[in-house]
Amino acid sequence: MISLSINNKLVEVDTDPSTPLLWVLREHLGLVGTRFGCGAGLCGACTVHIDGEAFFACQTLVGDVADGRVVTIEGLSKQGDHPVQRAWIAEQVPQCGYCQSGQIMRAAALLARNPQPNRQDILDEMSANLCRCGTYARIVRAIERAAEEA
Amino acid sequence: MILQDMKPTRRSFLVGSGSLAFALLAGGGVSVVRSAGAEPATAGLRDINGWVVINRDGSILIRFGAAEMGQGVNTSLPMIVAEELDAYWATVKVEQVSMDPDGIFGNPGFGGILFSAGSSSLEGYFDHLRRAGATARRILIHSAAAHWGVSPAQVTTEAGVLVNAASGKRMAYGDVVALPEIVTDIPAITDADLKPRADWRIIGSDPGRLDIPGKTRGAALYSIDVRLPGMLYAAQLLAPVEGESPVAVSDRSARDLPGVVQVVTLANSVAVLAERWETALAARDLLDVTWSEGSAFRKYGSEQELEELSRAVDDASLPAFAWESRGDAATALAQGTRKHAATYSTTHLYHAQMEPLNAVASVDEDGKGAEVWLGTQSQTISIGVAAGVLGTTPDRIRFHAMQMGGAFGRRTVFARDLLRDALLLSRAAGRPVKLMWTREDDVKNGWLRPATVHRLEATLDADGEVTAMSHRVASPSIMQFAFPTRWNPETGRDLLVMEGTESTDYAIPHFRAEHVITPRRCRVSAWRGIGWAPNCFARECFIDELAEQAGADQVTFRRNLLRNSPRGLAVLDAVVAMSGFGQAPQGRAHGLSFAGYKATRGAGVAEVSVEDGRFRVHRFWAAVDPGFAVHPDNLRAQVEGGILFGLSSLMRERASFTDGIIDQSNFYDYEPIRISDIPEIEVRIVESGAAPSGAGEIGVPMTGAAVANALRLLTGTTPRQMPFGVDVS
Ligand code: FES
Ligand code: FES
Repeated sequence: MISLSINNKLVEVDTDPSTPLLWVLREHLGLVGTRFGCGAGLCGACTVHIDGEAFFACQTLVGDVADGRVVTIEGLSKQGDHPVQRAWIAEQVPQCGYCQSGQIMRAAALLARNPQPNRQDILDEMSANLCRCGTYARIVRAIERAAEEA
Repeated sequence: MILQDMKPTRRSFLVGSGSLAFALLAGGGVSVVRSAGAEPATAGLRDINGWVVINRDGSILIRFGAAEMGQGVNTSLPMIVAEELDAYWATVKVEQVSMDPDGIFGNPGFGGILFSAGSSSLEGYFDHLRRAGATARRILIHSAAAHWGVSPAQVTTEAGVLVNAASGKRMAYGDVVALPEIVTDIPAITDADLKPRADWRIIGSDPGRLDIPGKTRGAALYSIDVRLPGMLYAAQLLAPVEGESPVAVSDRSARDLPGVVQVVTLANSVAVLAERWETALAARDLLDVTWSEGSAFRKYGSEQELEELSRAVDDASLPAFAWESRGDAATALAQGTRKHAATYSTTHLYHAQMEPLNAVASVDEDGKGAEVWLGTQSQTISIGVAAGVLGTTPDRIRFHAMQMGGAFGRRTVFARDLLRDALLLSRAAGRPVKLMWTREDDVKNGWLRPATVHRLEATLDADGEVTAMSHRVASPSIMQFAFPTRWNPETGRDLLVMEGTESTDYAIPHFRAEHVITPRRCRVSAWRGIGWAPNCFARECFIDELAEQAGADQVTFRRNLLRNSPRGLAVLDAVVAMSGFGQAPQGRAHGLSFAGYKATRGAGVAEVSVEDGRFRVHRFWAAVDPGFAVHPDNLRAQVEGGILFGLSSLMRERASFTDGIIDQSNFYDYEPIRISDIPEIEVRIVESGAAPSGAGEIGVPMTGAAVANALRLLTGTTPRQMPFGVDVS
């Protein structure tokens, strides 16, 4: 049994410590908002916060986060009203939506660290996350809006 | 008949409320079913399979038949119904149609089945949905009129409220549900009954997409998210090459892993079923499988195929299927004196939808029925596939069409193998099964956009006018492979490859387009933009080259060609004006492309620079005429996405194969465009007022030539093979 803090709750999971956190979140705990895109640290669909920083859940072994606080898209805000989420709605960002949990988690981590990022900061940070539907221009606008309104 | 047992999930809608459900039947008839509030809790409630359900509390459920894959049909299609119903938009909820046993919800523009492809949903459903909404409204009006004892002509509606001006009486739509008599014997809706455009208040407005709030909370559910009690996870070791099968399977160590339930040998794969996904993956690594290795596809590589296509396009002795013919192009080309010819090519591409393919199935105990969860572009086809696999009838398939994490053409008929295998595995195990592909599985088993080679020829007269042009395409057929039952080998008409060659907007007296169908060397399929993307790339590069030959500038030359196409001229002029075409800042150049997608017209301008041998697209302007925009902001979003999809295919994307095996495996060697590469994009909607047409793909075809034509100005040569790669030196 491995104990984890996920979205401010202590949970126990019965798996090998070398299991990627992504499978634990999605398949053991049913926190399916964190997505599987590549399993290789290349797309960012699985982005979560560990102690406030963005990590690829597919590249994080569950045994390594026993001491950390994991936050997923489901735990980012109580009412879905984090400034980034509000900006995402205002700018009508998502299309298929599959990449968007990861995009939002990365954007939220960026703004927590750097509340007033310039455009280059945004591009540098968000380059870790792919969006095949091509919502990038709106992602940039939404992050700028969230920075302004936060 | 149109009645079906109500699903328990819908009960919550109705409990203690009552509702009216409206269906517009295929023959133009109408059916209304009322359910009383008290009944839902008791057995025997029937619900109608209708477009509109009006509830006692005033909320309105509108169903949509197209499959949501990101294109926003969950909002744009219900907007059409709501407009004619004169609903109050804030009360509208929507629901995806998963099954259509009575043929009510199919796309009238797609043979009446549930099939979402070719940006056809809006175009195909528009008229039908208006009538469905107008019919429901008329029933409400007649019912209220009867209740008030006035003539229906004296009842009007105001966003969800029925009004009799003379008496000052008003009734909310939801209150009609409680009336003792619902009048369903109403005159059929004619064109004259539909709202004039000037009265539209929902169509053409920008309510937020209804699916977006959930998608910002991670709450949207894709088939990959489904978890069922007792469900097993399946990982598949797939045959390395199409057509091969396992001949010897050594699975002892896989079976020995705790949590592995079964190893199942299927036609083209060996699957591990395990209690947990991580166990299924680990056990798959322990399988030792000998494959038949006899596939003819082992003989081919993509480089070789490109050479084959180049030879085919030049070999006049090869038979070609005529696609379009106006005048006498052969004679005119032979007689012309100022000739120009050029060859262009595109390589294979992979879809890279962000959700790797997967399927969830739970086969009934008798093996003759199943519940299925799938992201599919065609519910109808998927249900048929499932019934076929189980040797049963479609009514035994309880189907859930799930939101798709992207599709782009990959999930039409091209995804049936996973559905088949999930069903077979569930039947074998007697438990529900979630079959998932890893990204590597998804790439290695991609059904690629075929490579194409295009030969364009034209003659100019003394004034530099194009008198004749031909566009010859060499490529395998997608239709023949993907829709063998609809393939006519006599006519050889493959719209998935050839659409976009027609050049009907251009005033060229003698024109022909033809298709040399070459043998298929890998799995091929439709890809966002279908034939329009490669065909417009080749043609619009060629038009720029012709302009140069004629000594004309690109805009004047195209304006002259478009002289008989007001819609073509309008988008061209709009994009030229928006971009300040030709006035690029120092060190950059503008490239122009006219491009359509079916009935939608578009034109694009790219602003490009080359530094250290690498190109960069700084800005992209697009003007698009979709007739008119039902949901303008969503339309712009689709065009933005299409432009990035197109630009991506010019840069690092390239699928290839060696000895029948796809060379790439994940996003490191098949890398779609990232945010750091995007240009600033500006999209303008130019409404001609023609019938509405789709916008999901129009962004793609305009990108190739816009960038290539800018690169020609910067480097002196047109890059004639797509992708250009980032390095163009
Ligand atoms: S799934 Fe983790 S980075 Fe792609
Ligand atoms: S919204 Fe579809 S992948 Fe980003």
